[in-house]
Amino acid sequence: MLRTLEETVSLIEEGRILHIAADESLLCRLPKGKWIGGTTPYFISEEGGIFTKERLFVNEIDYAEDIKICSYGKYNVFQIVEECFDNGLTMIIMPYGSEVAAKYSREAPEVEELLMHPVVGWISGFDLSEAAEAKVYDGSTLKAYTDRAVAMYIRLSGEKSAMVNMINIFSDDKTDPVIRFPENDLKAKKCSVNGQEVDFAEHIKKKGIDPGMPLVADHNGSYINTSIKGMEDGEVSFFAPVFRNIEYRFATPVSDYAAEFEKRITEKKNCEPVFACNCILNYQKGNLEGKKIAPFEGPVTFGEVAYQLLNQTLVYCEILG
Amino acid sequence: MEAVVQEKIELILQRKLRYTSANLAFNMLISKMQKRLDSDPSCMKDCIAELESFLVKYPIVAKVDLANIAAL
Repeated sequence: MLRTLEETVSLIEEGRILHIAADESLLCRLPKGKWIGGTTPYFISEEGGIFTKERLFVNEIDYAEDIKICSYGKYNVFQIVEECFDNGLTMIIMPYGSEVAAKYSREAPEVEELLMHPVVGWISGFDLSEAAEAKVYDGSTLKAYTDRAVAMYIRLSGEKSAMVNMINIFSDDKTDPVIRFPENDLKAKKCSVNGQEVDFAEHIKKKGIDPGMPLVADHNGSYINTSIKGMEDGEVSFFAPVFRNIEYRFATPVSDYAAEFEKRITEKKNCEPVFACNCILNYQKGNLEGKKIAPFEGPVTFGEVAYQLLNQTLVYCEILG
Repeated sequence: MEAVVQEKIELILQRKLRYTSANLAFNMLISKMQKRLDSDPSCMKDCIAELESFLVKYPIVAKVDLANIAAL
């Protein structure tokens, strides 16, 4: 929930274990303690979608038996698979535009054992109206990073399990052409469409495809989006990478983004998430400012992590048992 | 894992039977194993073992999936 700076400081001083999302001006004033944090001034709160630099979004992790906090660079970020608790949850925050986030996004789907350990998290961001830098914070050392990931390993008691899930309004039409890419990359010039090699940017223009629609990949019924960031000099860039061994299609157009989003939220209204985050693209395109989407309150993010990096998705975690 | 469930999981991995879980990680794992089998059809045993490890590790989450798969 949204808290004032004073309330958050009190919780830290009481020794509570916390996940905190807030503007940098607030995060840098917090005392040392058992917390990790990331920058964003956008939130989905109990009052609805909100932009604020006056309050912090705080999740209390009162279900932990134990925690460890670590930070990682691009060369060792996948140590999270070895260093996590056997029965637990890993919460990870990475700065937008950092090499560690790019490395994680490109390689996570191929990391052995990653799916055996629940990982949830987000990509920290900034006020889109300013030229700012995304940061993450390790509250145990009070260090802030623009180039490292922070992870909190949360140990759960034996009878509990963490389940990481997502809400995605997009799906595909199986009669649409299949798109494949030659490499795992955050950008693409070429792709194949139903087996024919084409210039991807040209294909989008020629077919009149709305680049606001993400590419979607069907992972056994769970649709994972790859949203287009931009098209420049014949190259298409993405918010999350495309992968060479995955079949993509453009998402089926959604006529009323906000209504579709609301419908999906309603279907999951009985969830009891201990953590949720939602993509800034959903916030903007779904007109979520001022809208309540209980119980999925949390930071609005520049990327979401549910094992691998996702985008244009709401990610949440429940503790079962 | 019961033989009947294992047989059905094999069919799911061969894409002869369709099952979508409410658990994202299980769907991602099935999808990963399907792709592994596409490139090497002889690794069915390893794929089943990996899925079984997942289901054994998370019994609370797996209970529903196992019941649903058995009923397919």
